[in-house]
This record gives sequence, structure tokens and C-alpha cells, in this order.
Amino acid sequence: MDPDDVDEHDTPAEVDAAFRTLRRVAITHFLLFLAVVTGVPALSLTLGWWSDARIEGGLSPGFAMAAFGLYAFFLVVGLAAATLSNAVESRMLGGDHPGADGADRHEDQQ
Amino acid sequence: MNAAGAGTLAIVIAIIAVITLLVRPRGTSTVDFYLAGQRVGVATNALAICGDYFSAASFLGVAAAVYVSGLDGVWYAVGFAAGFVPVLLFVAAPLRRFGEFSIPDFLGRRLGSERVRLVAVAVVQLVILSYLVPQAVGSGMTWQLLVGRGLPGISAYATGVVVSTAVIAVLVAFGGMRGTTWTQAVQFLVLLAALVWLAGAVLAGGFGYAGAVSHLSSEPLANPVHDSAGWHLQPEENRLEPGADATFGEPGAAYGPLAQFALILTLVMGTAGLPHVMNRYFTSPTGTAARMTTVWVIGLAGLFYALAVMLGTASRDVIARAAPDRPWLQELTVDGVLRVPEHALPVLGRIYGGDQGLAVIAAGALVAVMSTIAGLLLAAAASWGHDVYERHINPGATQKQAVWAGRASTAVVAVAAAVLALVLRPENLSSTVPSIVAAMVTWAFAVAGSALTPVFILAIWWRGTTAAGAVAGMATGGLSTVAMFVVGALPVGPGLDDMLVTPTLVAAPLATAVCVLVSRRTAPPPDVEQQWLTLHGTAGDRQAERLARLTIANTAGPRRRGGRRAGG
Amino acid sequence: MRAGSGVLAGALVATWALVYLVTQVIVSPPLAVGTTVVAGTVVSVLLVVGYPSALRGPRAATGLRRGARESARAEAGHGGTRSGRAGAGLPVRRSMPLRSGLTADAARRTAELLLPLLGGDAVAITDRETVLAFVGAGDDHHRAGATVASTLAGRVIAKGRTVVGGTPRALACADPGCRLRSAVVVPLTVGTRVVGTVGVFRAGTGPVPRDQVEDMAAILSLHVELAELDRERKLAADARLDALRAQINPHFLFNVLNTIASKSRTDPDEARQLLLRLSDFFRYAVRQEGQVAEFAQEYFFVRTYLSLEQARFGDRLRVRYDIDPQVLTAHVPVLMIQPLVENAVKHGLADKVEGGTVTLRARVDPLTRTTSIRVTDDGVGIPADVLERLTNGSPAAGEPGDDWPSGDGGPGRSGRSGVGLRNISLRLATLFGERFALDIQSSPGGGTVVDIRMPLR
Repeated sequence: MDPDDVDEHDTPAEVDAAFRTLRRVAITHFLLFLAVVTGVPALSLTLGWWSDARIEGGLSPGFAMAAFGLYAFFLVVGLAAATLSNAVESRMLGGDHPGADGADRHEDQQ
Repeated sequence: MNAAGAGTLAIVIAIIAVITLLVRPRGTSTVDFYLAGQRVGVATNALAICGDYFSAASFLGVAAAVYVSGLDGVWYAVGFAAGFVPVLLFVAAPLRRFGEFSIPDFLGRRLGSERVRLVAVAVVQLVILSYLVPQAVGSGMTWQLLVGRGLPGISAYATGVVVSTAVIAVLVAFGGMRGTTWTQAVQFLVLLAALVWLAGAVLAGGFGYAGAVSHLSSEPLANPVHDSAGWHLQPEENRLEPGADATFGEPGAAYGPLAQFALILTLVMGTAGLPHVMNRYFTSPTGTAARMTTVWVIGLAGLFYALAVMLGTASRDVIARAAPDRPWLQELTVDGVLRVPEHALPVLGRIYGGDQGLAVIAAGALVAVMSTIAGLLLAAAASWGHDVYERHINPGATQKQAVWAGRASTAVVAVAAAVLALVLRPENLSSTVPSIVAAMVTWAFAVAGSALTPVFILAIWWRGTTAAGAVAGMATGGLSTVAMFVVGALPVGPGLDDMLVTPTLVAAPLATAVCVLVSRRTAPPPDVEQQWLTLHGTAGDRQAERLARLTIANTAGPRRRGGRRAGG
Repeated sequence: MRAGSGVLAGALVATWALVYLVTQVIVSPPLAVGTTVVAGTVVSVLLVVGYPSALRGPRAATGLRRGARESARAEAGHGGTRSGRAGAGLPVRRSMPLRSGLTADAARRTAELLLPLLGGDAVAITDRETVLAFVGAGDDHHRAGATVASTLAGRVIAKGRTVVGGTPRALACADPGCRLRSAVVVPLTVGTRVVGTVGVFRAGTGPVPRDQVEDMAAILSLHVELAELDRERKLAADARLDALRAQINPHFLFNVLNTIASKSRTDPDEARQLLLRLSDFFRYAVRQEGQVAEFAQEYFFVRTYLSLEQARFGDRLRVRYDIDPQVLTAHVPVLMIQPLVENAVKHGLADKVEGGTVTLRARVDPLTRTTSIRVTDDGVGIPADVLERLTNGSPAAGEPGDDWPSGDGGPGRSGRSGVGLRNISLRLATLFGERFALDIQSSPGGGTVVDIRMPLR
């Protein structure tokens, strides 16, 4: 039988499983993201060192974080969440067909 | 501005037009997307989203906010860049997989209710309008600086607002600006190129980032104010430590303790509810591609805002030193500090590149404004024409009538934005906010983040969401946001007013709670399991990828296949 | 795994070095010692908790790489053709006659089985030379034993692909009274070799759907392959092969085929989906090598199995998966979870009129580096004495909950669940020594919980 003739299909139970797992991925990454994003201003309110110390050259850790560190962090969190979600989806939905190499292609976009 | 500068501006805009027209994209079908190669397709989509997203607020506003308040202004950059992380985590892939064209469409079909669709249209229009106003303000300011005089009888600022809005509205209405992926991508590249050029020029001019920050932080931060004594510099009060002076490198110049978080969270939550950005997700061929597109957007946004923050810092440092030698600059500054902070980047451009430099930056600003206004007006026209006119006012509308309805709504929305921009002209607003353009955009983010995002995310991730719950949630979020704006405009005391103009911290949880409570008392749509399959299943994605692969294998032959494999 | 722990330890050292560098070396003044320790601890905890996804999370998809169906079919087959016999006494033999190879007897019984399933008026099965069986209309003059050389089947064997004949002439039947008007003849293949054909004939206009016949032929081919594998691996009998054979038990197969047969009229799309899933299910069992597999692969097997059972039980069988993202790349003993789930369905829920829910929960505990897998059902439960026997590991022949509930005359499946659990326990012990736990909790009427904890690999 030629699988290319058959429409792709997911059962509700499988989709529900992937949904739960992805929800867990999204929420953990969001909590991490939220902790860091609010952590930077929180540190500048609570920790004198954060604003007063000078990294070699003259920026304070707080300013350096807001000026470049956070953007790099966003990219890392985003990349981690996206590749993890894609990998979860390719493993938990669909199956024994060429779609499996779809995951590889997304893989090397990182 | 002299002839050379005007010529450069004209040339830059002509080049953009020629590139946009000549380097014509292939189509935007799924197969084309794959033919271009996954990575190229994803990157192009990401550039287009950036073109929609980066507006005058990002280009002029972020640098201006940093220029005025230092670290507190950097929070704008952080918030704008962070907004795409929740989009990636919660929205991008399911939204694409569900396959509706706009936010009202999505909510309407997901919850099976026309009422939800209409309420969503109302909120979307509110967001679009509050986003359009600062764009018009930004183009007014650029005109002021660039041309310096207005049409007979009206001021330079008003001329800028009217001309830019009118030109873009006419272009959009008559199809000259379709907001295609390719146009928006080219416009973003122009924007980025302008920023990179300026950053390169500044760094080549001997600017030391770290040194400048420490130098600026060594003295109190003072900004020009205009009162009975005329223009003079007045030190900013530190809102974190009353009595102390605020400095550039430390927080407190603009926001109190609570407002710092409120601002960031408002911007973080808002992006997921911006209609013109979310509409762009439907051009991704699959949910997975939408996700990877967002990763690219986050990377590009990070680069863009890191540069904008650096240039804001550089302008504070460089303009103060350059002002004494340049008569034209003295007109714009008070003791080396710009009166209008939005002028920071254009002035920096003129310092380093003369009139041509000014023209390049001005072109960047105009492109930022144009691409965003075009995206917004298109979203507005689509939601009026498609969601309201075709469905409710005139269900039997012909294609022609629908197009005219879209055009009419474009005109109405554009006129409303221009009028608001004229009424809310910068001088009329208190100078408590770091950058008027950035602050006004924050209002749009606040409405989107309070009224749309919570309902949007609940509809995607909670089966129990009902139409009644969504309506209640959107109404609560929208009304409480507007109410807090109004209260915040009254003198309610320091610290609190900043927070009230960034109300998402309160309004979004409120909207979520109301939506959940009302949903629990009503019955969810009966076909929710079926919808779950399209929202969270990948069957459609796999089908699309397989068909594209087959088509490519059949049309392109072995060479293409080999290339694809080698490419990964 | 030791290597994994080594990486984690290295990552922790690197983290502390980085914390030291950032807070003490490149910054002046350095951060106070207490605050530094707190910061380092926070980062370390995040690292340990997030470690499975941060360092070894399911990123690369290599473990799941499976070829296209076609190539999989080509890889799976090798060895001789008409193997004539299968292991004596295998219950499997009763399920699908071709499981014992392409013999005339098996072919006739298979054809009888297929005739109502495929909706034709006659079914023929041939090997490369002769017609092994012909069942249905026209069997008065189409007889088993005839040579295939000049028939449609002969052309199929020569070409190696499906032939659809829509006219009596194409059928090349010499008898003028023959009612058969159209035919679909599909090759049976082992690897790339054509070993025979299966043909479906109709008296009316228009042949039966070609896809359906091809789907069925794919499954028959697999069974011929299985017969060959049986012979080849007879000597390599081990626990894994026993477990494997147990998967393909006759009742399951018959029930699924019946479901497919009834759906093929009402919902042909779903019937095709089920056929695909059925062949996925068989292929997985056949192609597993080695002792462990990635959890994602085992999960694929389990959900394939459960989707087939769900098609049969309908709303009576509800399934709920609760799976950690990190567990997807963990390695677990091969063919271990599906028997547990099968037990839950058969012994827990099949007897319950109102049906019930089977839950598969898989977790990774990053601190103890443990994979835990729990299969729960809210079915009839296991009586205390049987539970006692199961947990003590003695053979549990004739236990009450063990009989096939529909009573359709299946062979004795006594001790099946006991054997399954004992088998699993033995394999866990072989793999992990003392470092695993297998718990069963059950009460009559209160459902059953089987919980396995093993080291994270």
C-alpha cells in the first residue's frame, strides 16, 4: 500500500498527549523567562552590587544585562523551547513514515 | 535640509521602491516556500514580521527613551524584544495550525460565536488605532526635523502627520502596498541597514560604550524643560530613592519600583495580541515553521534593540560634546541635551554623515513608519471588510463592494489616527514619560496584552473556554485598561500614575479571572475535541510537508533533491 | 548512566567556575561571598532540574529515523520462499493461516477469510507457479492447482506490480459462462521478491478498490515474512522473541480485522488508517533489535496498539497519556510497556460494561536520575490471591481474570498476564540488577496500578 495516498491522521488521545507535554514545555520555559525578565529589575532594586559594580571597562552588571545579556537569553530560551517542542511533536505525533526526517531539518536551523 | 540631503533621501526611497518591485518574490505558496528552502523561507517570514513589528517606536522611540532616562529607557527595548518569547511558547504554532487569517477570525471560529468575533474586532480596532497614533506622531517629528516647515497655514509637525498618513492610506487603499512578505522584509532590511551603518559610524568615530555609560552615570541626569524661565536643564528625580539624583546607568530616572515591572510585563504580554503581527503568522506554511520563524524574530529583535540601546547611549554622549561646535545643533539642544529626544538618531546621523547621514536615518524612520502603518491599515481594513462588513452588514456583498468597504475603513482609521496625533501633539503631554512615541505605543501594547492576549492564550490552551467567557474577558480587559489610563491621566500621586499607564499587570490577571469564571458557568463549544486536533495536532503540517516534498521531487528532479539533501 | 552523571558533574563545575568568573574576577568590587554562594546554588539547582532537557533533551531526531514504508518493507524480508512450516504449537498459527507460509491449505483458509473482508465475489491466492486457492464465484472452473502462466496472476508475477483488469478479456478466462468481470491482482512480496499473488474478482462492473487489496496484500506479505523469520530464528529463541510472538495474538488480529471490515463500508478512510496502523504495529514488533529502545519508539508502539483497540472498543476505552518531554529520549527495555497496557485493556477494562480509562504516565526524576513508568486502569482489578501469586512470581495458571472475556473460543491464555509481568521483571533484573522497582497495586473493582522505576539511561 502506498502511504502517500493516505491523509495524515492523529487520534484525539495522541493529540491530547502531545498537547499536555507541550504545555509543560511552554510553562517551564515561560517561568524561566519570567524569572529572568523580572529578575533583572528586581536585582537592581535589591542588590546594590548589581548597579554599583563595574565589569572591566565600566558597565555595571545590571546595565550590561539590559543592554545585551537579556537579548541573548531570549534567543537561547526561544531556541531551546522551539527545538524541544518540535522534537516532542515529531516523536509524539505521526509515526512510521518519512515525516520523521522533518525533525532533522528543523533541527539544523538552530 | 539642503538639496544634497533631500536628494539622498529621494534616492534611498527610490532604491527601496525599485528593489521591492524588481526583486519580485516567487509566490508565497507552500511549495514556493519549500522551493526557496526551509531556512530561506523561515528567514524571509521572520524579516517580514520584523518589518511589521519595528515601528517608529522601535527605531526612534527606544533610542529616545534611552537618551532621556538611561537604564529605565532600556526597559522598552527589553520589553519589545521579550514580547516574542510568549508568542513562541504559547501562540505561534497552534495559531498557524488552526489556519484562520486574523485574531477575530480565530476567536470567532474557535469559540463558535459571532459575538466573540465582533467584540474581538472592536478590541483589535482599538489596538490598531492606539498603535497608529504614535506612528503618525513619529512621522510628524521626523518631518519637523527633516523639512522644518509646513504647508501654508499649518505647522511642520502637523504637515508631517497629515502628509505621511494620507500618502500611506492612499497607497494601501488602492493596492500599491499590499504588505506582502517580500515588501515588509525589504523594508526591515533597510531599517536594519540604517541602524548598522549608524552603529558602525559611531564606533569608528571612537565611541566607547562602557566608558560612555560610566561617564554619563558620574553626574546626575538632567533633561530640558520649558517653563516660565524658558528652556533650562532640570535634574531628574530618582523615583526609587526619593531625594537622590537619578543617573544614566541606574534605574529610577523614569519609573518607580512597581512601574518598572509593570512596564516590562505590559510589553511582554502585548505582542501576542498585536493584530498586524499575528496576521503575518498565517504566511508560514506549517506550525513548525511558524515556531522557527519566531526564533529568528527573537534573534533579529535582540540585535536591533541592542544596537538601538547603544545608539541611544551614544547620542547622549556624542551630542553633548558635539553641540558647542555646531550651530544647527544648538537650535535643537539646551546645554547639549536635545529638546525632543526622538531627534536623537537623526541628529546622530547628521553628526556622522552630514546631510546624507540625516537622510539615511530619516529614510529608515519613514520606512519603519510606513511598513508598520501599512501593516496596521491592512489589518484594520481586513477586519472591517471581512469580519464586519461581509458577515454582518452586507452578507451578500460582491467582491467589489467588499473592496470598497475595506478602502473606506482604511480612510476612516487613517483620518482618526491623524486627528488623534494632532490633538495629542507631544507638547500637550506631560514630559514625565521618557519618549512620547515609545510611551504611546505602550498603550497599544497594554490594550492588546490586557484584552486580547489572556483570552487568546486561554482559547488555545484551555478546552473549557467559552464564547461568553471570552466576551467577558475581553470586555473586562479592555475596559479596565482604558479606565486605568483615564485615572492615570489624573494627578493621583507619584509612582502610582506610572503604573496606571502600563496597566497590564492588573488588567490581564483580571481579564483572565473573569474569562475563567464565566467560562466555568457556561458550556464550551461542542466540537472542541475536533478543534483540538487542528490546533495541537501536526497531521496538517505533515500533510503539507509531504505534498510539498512530492511536488518538488516531481518538478525539480534529481538535482534539486540532491541539493536539498546536502543542505540538510 | 555514568557518562551522563559525568557530564552533569562537569557542567556543575563549569557553572561554578562561570559564577566565580562573573561575580569575582571580571567585576570590581566582587560580589559578597554569601550572595555569590546563593546565586551559584540557584543556578546549580536550575541546571540539575533542567539538565535532562538542557543537555540531553530530545533534540536530535536520529533515534526515530525510520525509512519510508516501502524501504522498510524491502529491508525486512530475506530468506527462502515457501517455508511450509512454522514453530509447532504457536498460537499465532491460528490467527492468520499464511503465518505458516504459502501452502495450499493456508492459502485456502486465508482466501476464505479475505472474501468477506474485501467485498469481492472471489479471491484467489497463487504462488509463483500455481493457483493455491480460489474461493468464491467461478470456483467451479477456476480451480486450485492450475498453472498461473497465462493468467493475470502470471502478468503480475512477471511485472512485480498490481494489475487491474476491468474486462472479461483481460481476465483471460476460457469459460464463456464465467461471471467474473473485473479483477485486482496484487503481488505478495518478501523483500523485493515476488513470492505470489492475491487476486480479488468481481462479477459486477468496476473492480474492488485497488488500495484496499494492496493494503491487505501488504499484511499478508508480512505474515509470509514472519513465517520465514520463524524458521531462520528458531534456534535463536530467547525471551524477546517469545514476547514478540505474544504480541501478535489471534484475537487481537481477528478483532481488528473485523473492525476494519465493518468500517471499510461505513468509513473507508478510517479503515485505511487502521490498516496502516496495523501494519505499523506488526512491523515494530518484527523489527525490534536489541534490549532497549528509545521511549519515543515504545510510545509509538503503545499508541499504535491503543488506537487499534480504541477503534474496536469505541467510547468504552478511554486513553490518557501523561508524558514528560525529557522521558522521550530515555531508553527503556524494548517491548515492555505495551504488554502492561494490553493487560490493562484486557483484564481491567474489557470485562467492564461501562468501559474505563487506561493511563500511561512516564516521568523522569532529574534528581535521582530515574525513569518511572506507570500504567493505570480503573477496571475490575485483580483479586487478592491472584495478585499474591503474581507478585510472588509463581506461575499463575488459570487465574480468573485471565480468560478472554468475549468468550470467542480463543486458546488458553492462562498465565498470560503473569508471564508478561514475570518476563518484564526478569528483563529488568538482567538490565539493571537490583536497581529497579516493579510494583503492582490492585483491588477488585478498584483498578490496577503497575509502576516501574528504573535508572535513567
